[in-house]
Amino acid sequence: MNSLYQKVSPAYSQAVAETECAADLRIPSARITRIKAALFAAPYSICLERPKLLARFQRSAAGRAARKEHPLVRRALALAFVLSQRTPRIYPDELIIGNMTSKRIAANYYPEGGSINILEDLFRLEKRTIPLKLTGKEKLDLALIGLTTCRDSMGARALLKPGRFGHFLDFFSAKRYFITEEAGIGHQVADYHGLVHRGLKWMDAWAANCLENCRLQNGKSLDEDQRAFYRAIRITIEGIRKMAANLARTAEKQAADPALADPRRQELLTAAAACRRVPYEPARTFLEGLQSCWLVHVALNQEDFEQGMSFGRLDQILWPLYCEDQAQGRLTPATAAEITASFQLKTCETMPIYSERIDQYFSGNGVAQGITVGGTDADGNDVTNALSGLILEAYAQIATREPALHVRVHPATPAWFLEKAVEVLQLGCGKPSFFGDTAVVPALENAGMTTTHARDYAVIGCVEMASQGRTYNSSDAALFNLPLCLELALNQGVCYGEKHFNNRLGAATPAVEQMRSFDDVAAAFRQQVEHAVAEMVKVIGWLEATYRIWRPTPINSMLTDGCLAQGRDVTWGGARYDLTSIQVTGLADTGDALYALRQLVFETRRYTLPELVRILKNDFRDHAVLQQELVHKFPKYGNGIPAVDAMTQLAADVFADAVRAHLNSRKGRYVPGIYSMTCHIGFGRRTGALPNGRRAGKRLSNGLSPADGADRQGPTAILRSAASLDSRKWANCHALNLKFDRRTVQGKSGARVLSSLLTSFFRQGGMQVQINVLDGAMLRAAKSDPKAYPGIVVRVAGYCAYFNDLQPAVQDEIIERTSHGMES
Amino acid sequence: MAWNRKKDEETAVIFSIQHFCLQDGPGIRSLIFFKGCPLRCVWCQNPESWRMDPEPAFKAHLCMNCRTCIAACPGGVLLQPDRRKKDQCRRCFTCVHACPCGAQSRFGELHSTDSILKELRPEYPYFRDSGGGVTFSGGEATLSAAFAADIAERLKAEGVHLTLETCGQFSLDTETATDGDPLVQRLLMAMDLILYDIKLFDDETHQRYCGGSNQRIKANLAALARSGGQKSRPLVWPRLPIIPGITDTWDNLGSWADFLMDLGLKHITIVPYHRLGNAKRAWLGLAPGPEFTEPSPEALQAITRFLEQKGLNCYTPGEEEWRN
Ligand code: SF4
Ligand code: SF4
Repeated sequence: MNSLYQKVSPAYSQAVAETECAADLRIPSARITRIKAALFAAPYSICLERPKLLARFQRSAAGRAARKEHPLVRRALALAFVLSQRTPRIYPDELIIGNMTSKRIAANYYPEGGSINILEDLFRLEKRTIPLKLTGKEKLDLALIGLTTCRDSMGARALLKPGRFGHFLDFFSAKRYFITEEAGIGHQVADYHGLVHRGLKWMDAWAANCLENCRLQNGKSLDEDQRAFYRAIRITIEGIRKMAANLARTAEKQAADPALADPRRQELLTAAAACRRVPYEPARTFLEGLQSCWLVHVALNQEDFEQGMSFGRLDQILWPLYCEDQAQGRLTPATAAEITASFQLKTCETMPIYSERIDQYFSGNGVAQGITVGGTDADGNDVTNALSGLILEAYAQIATREPALHVRVHPATPAWFLEKAVEVLQLGCGKPSFFGDTAVVPALENAGMTTTHARDYAVIGCVEMASQGRTYNSSDAALFNLPLCLELALNQGVCYGEKHFNNRLGAATPAVEQMRSFDDVAAAFRQQVEHAVAEMVKVIGWLEATYRIWRPTPINSMLTDGCLAQGRDVTWGGARYDLTSIQVTGLADTGDALYALRQLVFETRRYTLPELVRILKNDFRDHAVLQQELVHKFPKYGNGIPAVDAMTQLAADVFADAVRAHLNSRKGRYVPGIYSMTCHIGFGRRTGALPNGRRAGKRLSNGLSPADGADRQGPTAILRSAASLDSRKWANCHALNLKFDRRTVQGKSGARVLSSLLTSFFRQGGMQVQINVLDGAMLRAAKSDPKAYPGIVVRVAGYCAYFNDLQPAVQDEIIERTSHGMES
Repeated sequence: MAWNRKKDEETAVIFSIQHFCLQDGPGIRSLIFFKGCPLRCVWCQNPESWRMDPEPAFKAHLCMNCRTCIAACPGGVLLQPDRRKKDQCRRCFTCVHACPCGAQSRFGELHSTDSILKELRPEYPYFRDSGGGVTFSGGEATLSAAFAADIAERLKAEGVHLTLETCGQFSLDTETATDGDPLVQRLLMAMDLILYDIKLFDDETHQRYCGGSNQRIKANLAALARSGGQKSRPLVWPRLPIIPGITDTWDNLGSWADFLMDLGLKHITIVPYHRLGNAKRAWLGLAPGPEFTEPSPEALQAITRFLEQKGLNCYTPGEEEWRN
């Protein structure tokens, strides 16, 4: 596992890189244009195949027999049944095959997860912000599935128990936190390198071997759970093979159609041959490599759920195959780009299902299937290659919401590569996002990874972190409302809006009358954060226990280092690196609020603390002047002012320390991340006024970005503020959004500006930044006439979404937020 | 004329320092806006730069009408948030302090070289990576020549690329370009690039629209052009605002093009008019200036073609290829 990548001679790589320059790989072929058009024409829907197959399995004799099996085996049997019974669908023109759902674009329905929330919208599916198209019969089925499986969700299984009911209700009134893990864990960068180069055969052989000898690889004899684990591995591999074979058969059948044009027949036969081989056998060609990744990606989506299932460093994983194909004269860069574009378009077939209520927390329909390019090898040498560029160029052909693209930047990142990345950025899709190795690697080391493994990091979903193929990171376990903890600290643990004072949500911290110094306030704040985090950890622990029994993930496990060696599923703690990540929302608001509070109460002594709290409880209603003064005249995070940024650091540290104090039930570490999805809107609605002048109910600051309207010095100052913070504890990274008006950053000179911004930021120790290139007028027009503007991709928090899929409030934010480079 | 002239070795009135500017010289730049301008162009976008001294302004769109400012004004000069008895205002800026919304605001702060450097230094990495630097803008930096020269030399010593934006109305010995006002001379010679604003070729029209003669402007440009391009001399780069109906006549464009070609200047940037100036005039309580239409892309293309036929390389702001 340690020699990460096969070596290719540098001279040869150079030659490959030079031939690249010949054609502009960003121009889509007719095929790619057709596939994209078909996807754009397809309505969004919900696929009920999976829950129906699951139900069929439960009713079958095999299913009844499975009930007596070990939970791991029971799960594997059900999964294998689903995989082998899915109806294969192959769409016109595609080069990489394998349907994500039974429809062209649909969400899979996961009874084990949070899918049931969609029933809230059942009678208005077509009228939602994101309309869903279902026939009457399907709606009936959906209702039926929802009702018959409503107690199967992890949330219900974990929380519909005596003494936990209150926490169950919490899901419907997310205030202090939102436990996303209830829906699923997902968020994985599986070992696609092992998959592509060794095939599932290798994992199968490992499992077979252990079962045969009744021993682990290290000689210890197997216990009952470990035996079940290895059986589960073998069973699911069988299921995946059947799924691939079904696809191959369908492709062959289609190819036999005499009406078919010859080139398409050849393509289908090639795809069929690939599916007959991979993912069980190692891939021999570039196309087989991608086909292998895709099939396992589909399987992983069937196994767990759709969020954040990511591919890792495809430029590194596929590089030997790409070089070999070129050496054999089998592949031109243009064909490779076309295959890659076809692969990337497959990622557009899936979406999540959120009811509109949930959508305020996770607006935008993203599932963030991440691809990471660029970066270094284990020794820190640059390994950017021609394929790193080609993957970006293939994306330029399609410019769709999915996949998520991530570029690693380090001091030796070649200039041509950064330029390519910036050109893609200029398309205005908010992609790629950029990560600074200089900051990311130490943060991962700090979370327990070796330097070698930290340097092999890949991005999960939007911004989260994994050492690829070695990590089980429940990277989006929960989102946390930090400003609310300040509210609770100033009101003895009770929300301002609470009518009954004994309805205490937080810890019983002292009354403000007893707080004598800013340190007292900070201490109460810390206590509230610790209290909320501990509560959250408790609930997540219940969920983890439920996952171990009801939702183990054998496919994920066979592709995560450590599991095969220990004979343990990832949900049982098998992974080499086991993490659970909690993300903070409203960080800048909290920092600014702490700063303003200290100024008003303890420095200038203009108000006593009780006076200030009364004003906040009253949402500044009789203190509009003060509120305006706080908004306009108090310094804020994001302007390069060290004294203010220090308060944001303080807030971040309080959160990070509270999170890092815990271990999950698998003995893995808790780590913090800083991003919000769109929870800053949902949480904002439930948070009272803050001392920085933010009024009750308004949205909170997003990720590591400054609070709304707080940045007055432009993007360089934002970047300075962000880079000045100590990120070593942020092992799950952060999301920092910069938004530019298109005119500011277009053309060659614009590209120069963007790349130098990135270079400077990462040189100063920046960790992550994502850049939206937008045209305000265009977005306003899109908001009022969505039909006229399909396909505008914007980056929302860490992820990209079609502008038209966003809730109006989120759209407004994107429009309003300072457009840097616009005058005045 | 000069406000606080005695102290101008150490301080000057700056009305703003803006980071991340992309259109006034190469790369990512910070602009220092000096207060005070010898001209009064009718289309001016920065009327807050006209006077040398700090002045109060009122931004109506920010006002919440709380009347705090009126109560705070010591002389009772402020009658309404948007009405002050101008001649009696002491410029004490108590109203600005009192206003919670930033509606009562102040254009112009006294800055020392140290305070400016302190504000600019954190931006150096962005200058370095983008090939940018600092641009002296305004207003007219040559009016605060002593201070500007001082800060220019300190920035230069720290390796910062320097640009001066000037209207050309300064005192320079036009024969040799070596003396005249020695302070202006020092300032000019510290520069890497001089963006030299030209407007109307005909002097009478110039006086009518810009509030002053263009004799000295032309002479200074000629002198700088003669010495420009030499080693350790700044690159001189003319810029021409395109004000429909005024500066965009073929006659005006043609005369300037011939003049520039004669001087051996091969580049020009045309700056399309935009309508930001009038909002600012209202803030300052000035009568609105005339409104022009913003030139169309087609018109700009025609102008570009015309100037290029005359032999000039013609650019729009931010798109220049900076060379001799
Ligand atoms: S500057 Fe002073 S005198 Fe003038 S209006 Fe304001 S408060 Fe009154
Ligand atoms: S203090 Fe400011 S906000 Fe209040 S009336 Fe005066 S200008 Fe308006």
